[in-house]
Formats: sequence, structure tokens, C-alpha cells
Amino acid sequence: MDFLFQGVRQAIALLLALDPATFSAVRVTLEATFLAVAGAIALGVPAGFLLGYIDFPGRRLLRLLVETLLAFPTVVIGLLVYAFLTRNGPLGDLGLLFTVSGMAIGLTILGLPIITAMTAMALESLDPDVRRTILTLGAGRVRAALACLSEVRHSVALAVVTAFGRIATEVGIAMMIGGNIKWHTRTMTTAIALETSKGEFAQGIALGVILLSLAFVVNVCVTALRRQGAAG
Amino acid sequence: MSTAQDVPVYSLRDVRHHYNGRAVLAVDALEVPRGIILGLCGSNGAGKSTLLRFLAFLERPRQGGIVFAGTPALDLASLRRRATLLLQRPVLLRRSVFENVAFGLRARKETADLSRKVSEALEAVGLPFAAFARRSWRELSGGEAQRVAMAARLVLRPEVLLLDEPTSSLDPESEERITAAARLARDRHGATVVVVSHDLAWLRGLCDTVLRLAAPLPSGQAAPLTEPPLSEDCA
Repeated sequence: MDFLFQGVRQAIALLLALDPATFSAVRVTLEATFLAVAGAIALGVPAGFLLGYIDFPGRRLLRLLVETLLAFPTVVIGLLVYAFLTRNGPLGDLGLLFTVSGMAIGLTILGLPIITAMTAMALESLDPDVRRTILTLGAGRVRAALACLSEVRHSVALAVVTAFGRIATEVGIAMMIGGNIKWHTRTMTTAIALETSKGEFAQGIALGVILLSLAFVVNVCVTALRRQGAAG
Repeated sequence: MSTAQDVPVYSLRDVRHHYNGRAVLAVDALEVPRGIILGLCGSNGAGKSTLLRFLAFLERPRQGGIVFAGTPALDLASLRRRATLLLQRPVLLRRSVFENVAFGLRARKETADLSRKVSEALEAVGLPFAAFARRSWRELSGGEAQRVAMAARLVLRPEVLLLDEPTSSLDPESEERITAAARLARDRHGATVVVVSHDLAWLRGLCDTVLRLAAPLPSGQAAPLTEPPLSEDCA
């Protein structure tokens, strides 16, 4: 057990000294996560709106597909994105493999079904009388749609926070697309995996503490949003 | 010579509606003259709320036509700006009282003098602007919420105000305020008011005419719209 206590002591020292390698992994993680969450919001909220608000043929099938994608194994996402971004792949010329942008693409695909499904579910469960009220007050089609989306804003925010938590703590996609390159694409999770495999626990524990703190903040946000949503 | 005042606000002919093969509404003919307060009563399942949704242009009947102010009701979206419906259960948007009342005016881009209009509408239902405008929708009691919902309709000065059992489960003060607001809509703003309720005594106190809507006959044919006898309960 001594090596664990020693690891914790060294981790605290690394955190207090603002160790550059440790905080480089934090920076890369946050950069990739924010890019991916932004992408997932930009695509997922409109997609969720379409699936939850508008009735069209094939809607149920699409909903089923999106819900299936919630269980998409991250290594499969990594494999597919890798195949597209590799030098010989269809998007190989863009040079995105082993970059933060490349990782963000994979992580966007991970977060997209979460935001899409949760937004669609929130809109589907919106009280039909709310939509009737909005319409009978004279709102046109666009304003009515935006007002309905505004009514479920807490649920959409919850979806975003949930996706953020899932993306920030992901390891397979970051490893496969990013390549775990120090100072460039090494994230907190890939750094923990690497340091642990080398038997170097200090940096792994230090990053683990930050990751746990991040997860705690995310959970506080989720709980607060759930409460606000439940309050109506 | 007939004037616009003589043209009924609504003319319904052979209106039929069904859900999953079950007839829920059948009306052979109904004309609603402009400027009256018309009460509709009837038992559960007679189709009163369904009829109000058609009159509010929220849905179309599966069969038959509605003529609004002399013109067939085709463009529901634009007609919805002339008739507004207050639902039985108070439904407010998740925003402040002020924003709830102002919502319809903003939707119409009629934002001039917004505060004054909202203030007048709130005062008309007995809610002082200073005390209520900034309150969140969730800080209101059921009666207050229904009064805010009524203010959100009054502020629009609609041609037609449709009320679906607006006072059921309200406290006496809120019931009185809603009743007064319905009269105000007609007397001061010239609105035609159609109100549905099970409470026949209340309807008789408020309305110029009360009609009883009966459930469709098993054959799907309409039972005639009649004035309920004084001795009878409508429900």
C-alpha cells in the first residue's frame, strides 16, 4: 500500500506545483470536450427537436436508431473515425488524425445521440396543453417551436451536461484518434492509462483527482437541473 | 342590407369528428352571433372541449365546415390571432407573469406600450401589476395562475374569447374575477365570448344564451342543440 500513499503525496505535490505535463492533459481534455460538446449541441438539439416535435414518416424508426446509438461502443466510434481520418481514408487529406480537432470529431459522435435523444424525449413529454396555449396566444410556427424548446430548456441543459460528463471521461476515442501524444493530444484519461501501465501512479492519481472533481461538478449541475426540471 | 355586425362570427354546418372510430362530436348547425356571450353545457363526452378547439382553430373537424365571420376557415394559423382559448387547467409558460401576459403581444409584434397593456390586463383580473408582474409562474396559486392566463387573453383584445370550464376548481374570488373579466371582454372590447361549463346556474348568470350540447347518437348523427329547461341540471 505504501506506493499508493506515496503516489497520493506526489500527486498533491504535482497539483500544488502546477506541473506542466499534468495541466497540459487537463487543457487538452477541456479543449477537446468543449469542441465536441459544441458540435454535439449544434447537431443534436436541432435533430432532437425534429424527432421530438415534428411528426413525419419514419420518425419512430429514427428515434429507435438514435437510442441504439446511445450504446455505441466507443472503440467502434474510434475505429470508424480513424478509418475516415487516416492518411488513406476519405478525409485523410484534412490531416486531422492525432489532433485535438480529430478527437473532437469522434467525441462529438459520442455525445450526439445523448443530446438528440434527451432533447427529443423532453419535447415528446411536453404537456400538449402548453403547445395549445402557445398557439392560441397567436404564435406563428417558428415562434411556437422556439417557445416549446424554451419550455424544455432545463432538460436540454441536462442533456448537455450529461454529454459533457460522458465526453470528458472517455478514453477509447481519445486514445485511438488522438494517439496520446504528450503536450498535444494526451488527455487526462489517456495519461492515467499510460502512467498506470508504467507503474507511475503520482501523475495518474493527480489527474484522477481532477477528473473526479470535474465529475463532481458535472453531477452537481445534473442534480440542480433535475430539480429545476422537476419543479416544472 | 346586412352589415358586418349581422354576419355571425361562427357558422357551423354538419360538423362531425371522431377519434379511433368513436364519434366525439356531431353538430348539424350552429350560428354564433357577434357580440354575445354564449354558454355551452352538456354531459361529459358531449364534445364541448373538442368543439372549443375547433372554434379556436387549433384543430380541424374531420367532416363539415366552419365559416368564420362570413369566410370559410381555411388558414388556421392566421385565424388563431382572432380567437383565443382559455383552457380549463391553468397553463402558464415557464417565465414571469409579465412575460406570460406579454407573450401574445410579442408574437404579434405589438410591443408598443407593452407595460401599460400588461398592467391593465392584470388589473382587470384583480392582480396588481406591482405585486405580480415580476413573479415567477411557479410562485402562483392555481387561482392566480388562471387569472394570469385570463389576463394573457384579455391583453390581446380578441374578437372571440373561448373559455373551457374556466372556473372549475377555482376559489370564489378567482371565479368572480374570471367572470367579471369575461363580461369586460364583451362589454368593453366587443368580444364574442363562448364559454363551456357544467355549472348551469353560473352559465345562466353570465351568458345571453345557453345551449346544451349532447353526445353524438350511436348512429353518429347529431342530437339537436337545445336550451336546457330551467329546472334541469346540465351535467
